[in-house]
Amino acid sequence: MNALVLRLGFYAAIAAPFVAVALAEHAFLVQVAIGIAVSAILALAWDILSRTGQVSLGHAAFFGMGGYGSALLTPVLGPVLGWTAGLLLCGAVAVLLGAVTLRLRRLYFTIATLSFSLSIQVFILVTPDLTGGSTGIMPPVLAGGSPPHQLLFITGCLVAAAVVSDVFLGARFRPAFFMIRNNPHLAAASGVPVTRLKILAFAVSGMVAGLAGACYAGLYGYVIPDDVFTTNWNVLPLAVTILGGMDTTLGPVVGAVALRLLEEVARHVVGGVGYQVVYGAVIILFIVGMPAGLVGFARGLLRRRKAPARSDGAKARLAS
Amino acid sequence: MSGLRVEGCTVAFGGLRAIDNVTLAIPDGTITALIGPNGSGKSTFVNMVSGQIPPAAGRILLGGDAITGLRPDRIVHRGLARTYQVPKVPKELTIEEVISVPLLYARSERPLPPGVRGAADLARYCGLRPAVSTRCGQLSVSDLRRLEIARALACRPDVLLLDESMAGLGVEDTEQVIALVREIHASGVTVLVIEHVMRIIAKLCRHAIVLNQGRLLAEGEPQRVLTDGQVREAYLGKGFTL
Repeated sequence: MNALVLRLGFYAAIAAPFVAVALAEHAFLVQVAIGIAVSAILALAWDILSRTGQVSLGHAAFFGMGGYGSALLTPVLGPVLGWTAGLLLCGAVAVLLGAVTLRLRRLYFTIATLSFSLSIQVFILVTPDLTGGSTGIMPPVLAGGSPPHQLLFITGCLVAAAVVSDVFLGARFRPAFFMIRNNPHLAAASGVPVTRLKILAFAVSGMVAGLAGACYAGLYGYVIPDDVFTTNWNVLPLAVTILGGMDTTLGPVVGAVALRLLEEVARHVVGGVGYQVVYGAVIILFIVGMPAGLVGFARGLLRRRKAPARSDGAKARLAS
Repeated sequence: MSGLRVEGCTVAFGGLRAIDNVTLAIPDGTITALIGPNGSGKSTFVNMVSGQIPPAAGRILLGGDAITGLRPDRIVHRGLARTYQVPKVPKELTIEEVISVPLLYARSERPLPPGVRGAADLARYCGLRPAVSTRCGQLSVSDLRRLEIARALACRPDVLLLDESMAGLGVEDTEQVIALVREIHASGVTVLVIEHVMRIIAKLCRHAIVLNQGRLLAEGEPQRVLTDGQVREAYLGKGFTL
């Protein structure tokens, strides 16, 4: 009961700043908040997969497929079914890709996901009758084109993604996922169906990334392949999650805010194109100096403050 | 015929036959030792039986049913658990979380040892002194070995393979783990102990199996096997007498 109240409070705390910005109707901040929420959803999707040791550089594929799928299916099936079908398509493709890449280790897996995202873009370009090709598509606009309402809707999607992320940080999945990532043989020797859980993580991750893409595609009513299938969306979830903190629900959200803040500050201070270099350098510094991310760093500080007497216990164990 | 039975099994890495046409039985309800010099195929044998490296030829029977070629997690569900010699557990997980994985995922109808209910009880049963909320990254080698035994027991096995669970432990720790293995055996689990130290084997087992270069070299009572001429030769070289 208490834990449930705490959880609900946590989601309310995540949603509150976004809702506040939407209610204030500040045009610039609303656009910034929408961008942050979309990156946070995509980063949560990426993190769910990375907990099983599968580091993807191809999430733009699911992001774009979610956008294209929902946009093309909504006129046929209506908004609710259209989005559902779009996300299910992402899940189904993720299952197939997951099954194919299952035996690839670390870097090879990452390269495979990257090539997959590139090939999806090519697929869109060569099928203009089905997907509009390079001229793009015109998806139905979200929330009647009102940015504050769009922000409220996307905030709802962010909370949904956070709930999904938390399910996979619960007792049923977290230890098993970490064991698969760290030592798949040990996981299998503990009765864990390693293959099935890895593909499950991939499917869920693909669907959540598709949700982020569907939100993004519905913002302006116009999407071209270069908007969604770019390296930017491949790298962004990784940068956001590492900056904010892996293996947590808060990390990707904090990371999305921090990355956008960094970008705006760099743009303001350095200006021109040079800001991107400074922005990149600062991200690298953060990754080197704070490998556990902002959330991991803060947790470490709290733990050290809470338990300064713990070191004696460790010494006693070493001596025994 | 219950227990574990291996019939004509072979595992080859390229041209090397790490397990070469081995046939042996570990009868139900025994503690059996598997010994042999370095590189004799002991660890490959454990990897083969637990499904990590399926045999190229032969059959493996658990409780009379064939488990040859099954996935490792399915073999766990059938009632066979193994420990790893150098347990690499995720260091961010706690003792409780590691033990919880097989408690959740290993589908077994066997009960846990008497008086043991959950992960915390199982940790205590295996002599883990640190709190169950301790992260594995902070555990000593001897505690990691106990955790590995607790993890395997949480699979609720009929047959337990212990891969050098006592290697590198101090005298006192070794005695405690020997007592633990006896207690596990007394609760009805068939145990196969892979060990280097003869003193431990002589203490713990009535039956020993010797592998050498992937082949079954000798089998029988530990005292008799250890004085066998061929076994001495495999360990010490030809012409060496004590």
